[in-house]
Amino acid sequence: MSVSNLLQNWSAVRHTHPVGDAPHAEYKWAMAIDLDACTGCNACSVACYAENNLPAVGKDKFEHGQQMHWMRIERYWDEDGRDMPDQGAQFLPMMCQHCEAAPCETVCPVGATNHTADGLNSQVYNRCVGSRYCSANCPFKVRYFNWYSYPDQEISWPSPMEQQLNPDVTVRTKGVMEKCTFCVQRLTVAKHNARNEGRLVQDGEVQTACQQACPTSAISFGNLVDPASKVAKQWKAQQVELAVDKQAKDEGDDSHEVGEHHSTTKLRGYRIFEELRAYPSVMYLERVRESAV
Amino acid sequence: MIENEFNRRDFLKVLGWGGAAVAVSGCGFTSVQDGVENVVSYVEANEYMIPGIGVYFNSTCAQCDAACGITGKVREGRVLKLEGNAASSINRGRLCGLGQAGVQAHYNPDRVTEPRTGKGEKLDWEKALGQVKEKLTGVSGDEIAFLTGNLSGHLKVLLGNYMDALGSKNHFVYDAVAPAVMRASNKKAYGNEMPALRLDKAKVIVSFGADFLGSWVSPVNFSQQYAQFRKGVNNGGRGVLVQIEPKMTLTGANADRWIPANPGTEGVLALGLINALGAAGVSIPSDIAASVSAYGVERVSKDTGVSAEQIQKLAAVLKERSPSLVIAGGGAEGYAHGSQNAAAVALLNQVLGNVGKTVEAPSVVPFPQLAPTAGGTAGLKAFNDGLAAGKFKVVFTLGANPVYSAPAFMKLADNLKKAAFKVALADAIDETAAQADLVLPLDSAMESWGTVVAEYQAGDAHIGIQQPLMERLYDNTRSAGDILLSLVKQQKADDYKAFEDYYAYLRGAVVQAKGSLGGAGMDDDEFWSTVLSSGMVKTGNASSSLRTSASAVTLPAAAVADAAFPLRLLPYVQPSMRDGRHANLPWLQESPDPLTTIVWDSWVEMHPKTAAKLGIVEGDIVEVTSKSGSIKAQAYIFPGIHPDAVSVPFGNGHTELGRYAKGVGANVFQMLDPVFDQETGELAINETHVKVSKTGKRVIVVKEEGAAGGSQAGKKIAGRLASNNVDLSKEV
Amino acid sequence: MGKDIREDISWAKINTDVLKSLESPRPLYWVIVGVALLMFLGGVSLEAYQYRQGMGVANLNNPHVWGLFIATFIFWIGMSHSGTLLSAILHLMHADWRKPIYRFAEAMTTFSLMTAGLFVMVHLGRLWQFYYSLPYPNERGLWPNFQSPLLWDAMAIFTYLSSSVIFLFIGMIPDLAICRDHLHPGWRKKLYTVLALGWEGTDRQWRNFRVTYLTVACYLIPLAVSVHSIVASDFAMSQQPGWHVTSFPPYFVAGALYSGCAAIITLFIILRYVFKFEEYMTLPILKKTARLTFAIAMVWTYLNAIEFASVWYSHDQASKDVLIQKATGPYAFAWWGMIICGSVVPLALAFKKVQTNIPMLFSVSLLLNLGMWLERWMIVAPTFSHGYYPWTWDHDQWPSFVQWGMVFASFGWFTLLFMIFCKVFPSVSMYEVKEMVYHRSLASKMGGKGGH
Repeated sequence: MSVSNLLQNWSAVRHTHPVGDAPHAEYKWAMAIDLDACTGCNACSVACYAENNLPAVGKDKFEHGQQMHWMRIERYWDEDGRDMPDQGAQFLPMMCQHCEAAPCETVCPVGATNHTADGLNSQVYNRCVGSRYCSANCPFKVRYFNWYSYPDQEISWPSPMEQQLNPDVTVRTKGVMEKCTFCVQRLTVAKHNARNEGRLVQDGEVQTACQQACPTSAISFGNLVDPASKVAKQWKAQQVELAVDKQAKDEGDDSHEVGEHHSTTKLRGYRIFEELRAYPSVMYLERVRESAV
Repeated sequence: MIENEFNRRDFLKVLGWGGAAVAVSGCGFTSVQDGVENVVSYVEANEYMIPGIGVYFNSTCAQCDAACGITGKVREGRVLKLEGNAASSINRGRLCGLGQAGVQAHYNPDRVTEPRTGKGEKLDWEKALGQVKEKLTGVSGDEIAFLTGNLSGHLKVLLGNYMDALGSKNHFVYDAVAPAVMRASNKKAYGNEMPALRLDKAKVIVSFGADFLGSWVSPVNFSQQYAQFRKGVNNGGRGVLVQIEPKMTLTGANADRWIPANPGTEGVLALGLINALGAAGVSIPSDIAASVSAYGVERVSKDTGVSAEQIQKLAAVLKERSPSLVIAGGGAEGYAHGSQNAAAVALLNQVLGNVGKTVEAPSVVPFPQLAPTAGGTAGLKAFNDGLAAGKFKVVFTLGANPVYSAPAFMKLADNLKKAAFKVALADAIDETAAQADLVLPLDSAMESWGTVVAEYQAGDAHIGIQQPLMERLYDNTRSAGDILLSLVKQQKADDYKAFEDYYAYLRGAVVQAKGSLGGAGMDDDEFWSTVLSSGMVKTGNASSSLRTSASAVTLPAAAVADAAFPLRLLPYVQPSMRDGRHANLPWLQESPDPLTTIVWDSWVEMHPKTAAKLGIVEGDIVEVTSKSGSIKAQAYIFPGIHPDAVSVPFGNGHTELGRYAKGVGANVFQMLDPVFDQETGELAINETHVKVSKTGKRVIVVKEEGAAGGSQAGKKIAGRLASNNVDLSKEV
Repeated sequence: MGKDIREDISWAKINTDVLKSLESPRPLYWVIVGVALLMFLGGVSLEAYQYRQGMGVANLNNPHVWGLFIATFIFWIGMSHSGTLLSAILHLMHADWRKPIYRFAEAMTTFSLMTAGLFVMVHLGRLWQFYYSLPYPNERGLWPNFQSPLLWDAMAIFTYLSSSVIFLFIGMIPDLAICRDHLHPGWRKKLYTVLALGWEGTDRQWRNFRVTYLTVACYLIPLAVSVHSIVASDFAMSQQPGWHVTSFPPYFVAGALYSGCAAIITLFIILRYVFKFEEYMTLPILKKTARLTFAIAMVWTYLNAIEFASVWYSHDQASKDVLIQKATGPYAFAWWGMIICGSVVPLALAFKKVQTNIPMLFSVSLLLNLGMWLERWMIVAPTFSHGYYPWTWDHDQWPSFVQWGMVFASFGWFTLLFMIFCKVFPSVSMYEVKEMVYHRSLASKMGGKGGH
């Protein structure tokens, strides 16, 4: 291992950074979540537990904020000072946003979290030393640390529950960071299958676990590079661009601080914390409310 | 030199075992010990079993009565994950969290694995079934009772045959949170218990307490329709949802307008809307118009607590946007006058002309003998009355846990003791099985054969096939079908000798009818494998129709409040916990309640105003007392509830069932008052009046929500838009 | 006003006085060592517990992933700056009053760095893989992430630690020779013989010694500044509200010097008593140290005000919210404690009476250190509990006994190392004190009066 090798590898690794200088060639996995369709039912979250070997941590650890749900449903109330939330609640599924310029990636001392060529923010469990700097620098706080060796906790997978564990997904040990992977194990299988047949993965060929479970099909997931994919069409229709920090919707709206947009466009698509320039790969579509009733 | 008794043979053994042990123990869970477990290589693996590659089998979800089609992913003989079966017209490839957790019911560490006596002695099956036979001899049919949850398909047939063989008519069907009042009122209003609801076709949905996105009837199906309704796929534009319920459910949280009408006044509001529609020029039959003439906007506003302006707006929207859909659910039906409330809501539907448009005649499976038995709490009451009178000597339970979910006033646990011999067919030692004299362990839904007919049929009618997704985890469990077959063989050996087991019975029955199941011309094996691979049989529809004529509804006068119990208890059917049978699944316990985000516990929801009046803050352990009992639970201050009510979720507070459920939360079933729906005799779950007092203890509420509560702190996180700014039907 | 070092003190007396500290300290010394050892062992068992059970026992949680470990890590890094300040900077500035006290200050540098390093280890989720963060050649071609401030941190700390050990050692060589020459045979004599590197005090040796010492001193100063700037970068380079502040590096350096000076006062007073160094660690020196501390306290206060002002006028609502949260939220007690201990209490040092009043100074110095520790905690914690994402705000996070215990134990570990050092090596530089006395006597002979 020479230093020149290091420097070469270095620039190669760090320059796959996809915003700007090296656009995605074949794949850029991305998501769109329609908050008007999302009912907050938690099916996605449970599906994620099943697919990704997430441990149930139990009441005590949950109380200490040590729960391990890669996909969490947030419930917000309108803040308009009314006694009753008579326009319902707002639900927001939140998981790793797979930012293109991910704040977590630059700070990891060992390079355990990296950008893959197909636009995922990957987490290498074997490499992680558990400094938790990535989580400290994550604006969305969607990284979950293994505070305990959950496989050894009596509550997580007592026999025979361990038989349910997905062999395609690592069971994480204590001391490593983890987070939503966009079900990378499914993507890998789909990519291999496609490559064996000499083609690219087609839209709809691979689904994330949350997307597959969602009873209202609020989540769409696919390849943003493929203009025929639903997700690419959605991003395009909403005029949300990956490598831009101010979307069409935000024109004329300089404030980053309002719940209800002042925007005059008829667009619903937005990314959270656009102003932080993390360039998330998840577009949310605003919830709609009827005022006639 | 190493001197020990380590010969070549041992060396090879260690070499082989070492590899296996490393492979297995590398995961850190199991170790294969010499002589304790056997490692069997796949020398003769089944053709569908390819190491490293998942194979998929279709089956039917048994987590609730919606009977969604599921596809189980199986790897190396283990079922890993359930997905929705895309071919099922009920869930079309989707699956809720409750359904996902089906694998945890299968792999649950607290399953009962051997037949056992009430004292916990293990038995073999021969002895166990022998005991049943012995106890049944000399007992007349009237002295035998069988309490089940909802049943359908061939299991129902078999049970019927067994009861016939015993000469008993005492099959009680019990479902603690069933839409039983709705069935009766639908039957009355539309001539059908379960009409098909076309949410997707409606421009407006007004739901009176039906949590169709959370726990009502067939939530996955309704959620899909809801998505189309919102996107304007079949209704020409984004549909508007109005939810009228004093306790916000998941559906209420998704409504454009959530209206917390005074508890029990849903019928008044429905009639008031009819009146307002009439006044606005909608043509209404004169007898009906006359019957609602007393429900002027002002009076209705006063009774319901809904502003006159709101009622007018609602009437205007209903008038302008047609077709609409009006639904009554548990929130409106859990009253002494629940049937009338439901009837008033149905009447509103009829007046709006929705019958035939958004309320359609359902598809019906043309095999009435397989149709689901639809139970409610009336079945439990009859069962309990029989027990109390000492009529039953031998009692069977299957798929029902009455000791947990029967209200305390029934004294069911005591009455059960009067039965000399109690047999529980159970997958875990729940409260009822703990009192049984004989526990017969059931296979999980991933291990058993079965046929399921959904009560709510969406699209084309079909029979769901339940097939084992993997080998039995435990050698000594049996499917309910096999147990019933053995039992019925005890009585009528000759009639059933052709069937070695329930599988043979089931296959025989399905294959026999292949002609009418689209299998004409196929040979038996071919037909059967088609059935198994699709996980369902399309049956074709039997004709059904709806009545469109409407008749007037009269509502009883409002009951006078009891000053000693100033608040109304509105128990909440939580989407993942339902009636509590799934409380031992850790994924569901850890899955936050969508509205409060609380995990692993029960809670008492109260409005900030009510809490302020009582001096209660979040986390206070409060005692909720009714005439019939009391519970203690943590208070959660929640804006989505009527100030005159408190809400506690069903499902927790188990004293048995397993490690994840035992001792978690409080059982609100126990404290319900003995008030019944006057027409159907169903327990009126919203008719309990309570008082709330502080106990002085305070805990930290364990929930997903953080210190900011539901606030976005002025940040742009969950965005929202007024509907006039956007046309969703034009979106991708 | 106490007396300064006597100008007529004989060189032999200096030797005996200082060497005495290697032999017969007051009994209090053994009490301190015993208590420190117990504290340290307590920390070791807590770490063993945490290592076995997982980091969760520290009661950190998912948004709040860093706690007292990192805060205390910064605290100890800060402490390390005093030694460099006193020995290197003041050496270059020819402030001769530093001479009797720089040795222990340098030792403090080394040991507080060692303590700080322990916190990085204790903090790691997978301690057993800590070497992944070091750039060592390996067959997999894996390197650490050179973009990460944490990696700069690791390198800076290792460099600083090794440099300050070298600096400490070089400065001790003439004294080690004295020890070698004056001590009875035994393991110590062997040790000094080896360490003294054959020092004979020839002109050539002295000349080389001076040049080397000066070079290392010059080298160490930028290093010291860079170390704490890099620690500041851990925060300033991140994107989090409350951390992403341009003035953090100088702010951290000022804070470091500040806490270091305060710690010097504390240890000065303890050593003076325990090793009977009243002759050398005189009140005038203490007075100067106190004045220096006061000056740095005011610099720190100024930089603090700059930080608040730049946050307040930045239009960055999230950062502003964190600041408001610090002052009014559940951490308010700690934040106001920091302001009071860090900016108000040092005002007492402006009074001459306080500058030479040992009990007063001792308690003031302890309060200053408390304030500086709180400062570090207030840098780390509130950003986690009130960051960008409101859903994950966690205002109730409170460190468990494991965290508190290890913070406590770190003081034991530091004291233990320090006390052992003082017993094994001369904690007052004999040759430099001699030099100082000589220069002063020369000056007084020539100028006719005792000078500073």
